[in-house]
Amino acid sequence: MPLRAARVGRVGVIGAPVARTAVVAAAVTPGPSPVAKTAVVAAAVTPGRRRRRI
Amino acid sequence: MTTTSLDELGPVDYIVVEFPAGASNFTGEMAAALVELVEAGTIRVIDVLILTKAEDGSVEAAELSDVGELGELQALEAQLAELLAEDDIVHLAAAMEPGSVAGVLIWENLWAAPFASAARRSGGQLIASGRIPIQAIIASIEADELVTEGV
Repeated sequence: MPLRAARVGRVGVIGAPVARTAVVAAAVTPGPSPVAKTAVVAAAVTPGRRRRRI
Repeated sequence: MTTTSLDELGPVDYIVVEFPAGASNFTGEMAAALVELVEAGTIRVIDVLILTKAEDGSVEAAELSDVGELGELQALEAQLAELLAEDDIVHLAAAMEPGSVAGVLIWENLWAAPFASAARRSGGQLIASGRIPIQAIIASIEADELVTEGV
């Protein structure tokens, strides 16, 4: 399908080829092990769980 | 765009959501969730494209309006700004696997605009921003646990 004219010949906003990020679907898909990981992540962003060491 | 409108612009993000060959299952759930965010004033959708990457690596881009039945997305389509240029499509498609289809979504975080504006009025300037991958959080927690266990 041809692009709309407004998209052709313009300066882009995404500066460089985008790198593929790691697929996280496995970590958040329900199931025995992934569920445990989801709980770990949830705990990590719960207030008061950790103290910063600087 | 005027200085005033720039000052009130929230940060703009993008995602590329890939659907491997044979794995897509479009029930309208994604569209409904997106429309909900827009209607709540959380985000403003700036651009949407559907990219198809053939096995030979060639890429075809379709506008949202090229999709036959838009359903709930109809209202959004009329407000798109068509921000992405031809070069952007090539850059974004670099992340895709051959034989896959991907949706590209560009949005403004309306929720962040008032805070960012207030920060600027207070003399603050944004010097860094980013996203923390879930994997990094998991790695951090696991490293903490190893320290706690004395391993």
